[in-house]
Amino acid sequence: MTLLRPTDPRFTGHLVRPRLRIVAGVCAGFARHSGLPVTFVRTVTFVLALCGGAGVLLYGWLWATTPDEAVDGAAGSDPRGDRLPKAALTGSSTVLPDSRPLPGGPSAGADAGPGAPDGAPADADPAEPRRAPVTEILLGLALVGTAGALIANRLGADLPLDAIIPAIVALAGTGLAWRQFAELRSGAGPRSSGMLVRALGALVLVALGILLFFVTSENPNVWTVVVAALSVLVGVAVVVAPWAVRLTRDLSDERAAREREAGRAEMAAHLHDSVLQTLALIQQKAGPHSDAARLARAQERDLRDWLFTGATNGPVDLAAELRGIATTVERDYAVHVDVVAVGSVDREVPDALLAAAREAILNAARHAGGSVSVYVESSPTAIEVSVTDRGPGFSIGDIPADRMGVRESILARMQRAGGTASVRPGPGGTGTEIRLSLPLDSQEDTP
Amino acid sequence: MTDPTTASNTDTGTDTPCDLTVVIVDDHSIFRSGLRSELDPTLRVLGEAATVDEAIAVVVATQPRVVLLDVHLPGGTGGGGAEVIRAAAPLAPATLFLALSVSDAADDVVTVIRAGARGYITKSASGAEVSDAARRVAGGDAVFSPRLAGFVLDAFGAVAGETAATTDELDRLSAREQEVMRLIARGYAYKEVASALFISPKTVETHVSAVLRKLQLSSRHELTAWATARKLL
Repeated sequence: MTLLRPTDPRFTGHLVRPRLRIVAGVCAGFARHSGLPVTFVRTVTFVLALCGGAGVLLYGWLWATTPDEAVDGAAGSDPRGDRLPKAALTGSSTVLPDSRPLPGGPSAGADAGPGAPDGAPADADPAEPRRAPVTEILLGLALVGTAGALIANRLGADLPLDAIIPAIVALAGTGLAWRQFAELRSGAGPRSSGMLVRALGALVLVALGILLFFVTSENPNVWTVVVAALSVLVGVAVVVAPWAVRLTRDLSDERAAREREAGRAEMAAHLHDSVLQTLALIQQKAGPHSDAARLARAQERDLRDWLFTGATNGPVDLAAELRGIATTVERDYAVHVDVVAVGSVDREVPDALLAAAREAILNAARHAGGSVSVYVESSPTAIEVSVTDRGPGFSIGDIPADRMGVRESILARMQRAGGTASVRPGPGGTGTEIRLSLPLDSQEDTP
Repeated sequence: MTDPTTASNTDTGTDTPCDLTVVIVDDHSIFRSGLRSELDPTLRVLGEAATVDEAIAVVVATQPRVVLLDVHLPGGTGGGGAEVIRAAAPLAPATLFLALSVSDAADDVVTVIRAGARGYITKSASGAEVSDAARRVAGGDAVFSPRLAGFVLDAFGAVAGETAATTDELDRLSAREQEVMRLIARGYAYKEVASALFISPKTVETHVSAVLRKLQLSSRHELTAWATARKLL
């Protein structure tokens, strides 16, 4: 069976049923929980099942009371998936992309502990758990068994038909009912009243099976009727119980998730109101080019990234990349880099452009200092980056021929990438403005 | 809400008639006191407020020239800075509002601008920058930070090549307005924009005011719906 995860002795904190399963995942879950080999657990269960059905009862009970791994994942061990509660401040419906690291996200570290679906990407990805169609097989067997019994009876064999047929009807009803309940609960199928009707039908089948026991027996009296009625009630209760148990658990899970999300939103709001304000104040008080201001700025940027996730638009966010560059440059030099981005790119940005922009920002930080403005405009036809500083300024003719910085890293690099770069005096004749421009071929991007 | 110490401060100082009166509205007392001590001495702080209701009361009572208004404020009906502007502006006709925000989120900024603020700057701006912005607002200019200019370019579809054909078109920017906004987004001061475009600083201010008017009056859906989805970081 390739369904089993190979020896993966992760002693999970609580018993869950994995999504890769043969019947209901009870054995696999128990094996993982206890650290015993799964084959051993299965064998023991099977042997117990032969001992008067004890194994079946145990299996059924565990199945009813053990949550699915997927449900458990929703309850907190899936920090980067689409269940990540978004920062409530953004109020938007965007989610954190999978590939993006959480900058300083506390949940990333905390949730990597036990129970996180870490090592098995194949486990988390498939939309439906792969499992054998046990219910269908059992139903088929029941039908075949019934037919066989009827034929055998016709042929003269003396079979206790009045016990077999009700038993098969009741079992089939139970199977069908559980199946319907599972679908109802997961909401997999179309949610309709038809499903409820089918579930009720299955329950009626169960009741019918139990009743048949009594109807087909000899000389019915009042007690038979009373016992039959009680049996039907108990039988239906037994069938419904697991579903009810799970429903309540689902409800409490959902409530817990909501509380967690509310807590996170509150935390985000609090961070926004207090920490961001404080960081702004530090920057204001410490003077624009002091170390304290730079630290505060870097922290502010990190926090902002984390709070306002979902600002990215498209697979490659040039603005985010440039902001990252700005942060690292600010750490190393006494500068204040402001990144303003307009438009969005929905395609791969050539590395050359990024590298040239980084070089331009570094150049401004090294030679000019003060504040550096970075402006990115991504239109459907071209990407333009301009880096403006207010330093002493320079012209390309003044640079010694052996200095590689501007000439090689910026100008030549952009030319090789099919773009252009120009160096000109900055605003008001002070400083320098480096403009990088990269035309995009327009046939690709017709929306 | 008026603080007696500041009142005496400014009385002893050089009390020239061109003194600019301001009210600081922010729910964080640290920020208020920090800003107050950083502000240029020619600005006279008439009062402070921490909530929407206090802000409305103080602004109406003191009638300052400029209100430095935080976008996020508790109290009132939850409308924040925009609510203050809507409630106080009719009762204080000579007062102008300059929005201060820590969030930079487009929807915040757009909401407060559309409510009638004459400009927007970030809270990390230094005291000198805030003072300068307040003076410009008092002088009738609109104050655009590079980020706001970038957002305007984005929201009015300037990047996609949309250009207004006539000057009174509200939903798009004229070619000249786009140039001005691009330079402001690049970090140019108004004077530098003027010299780069070979126009007078007054003309730059006219363009910026025109853009502000469009920002306030346009019904372009990006300004409302789309702005909430895309965050301006």
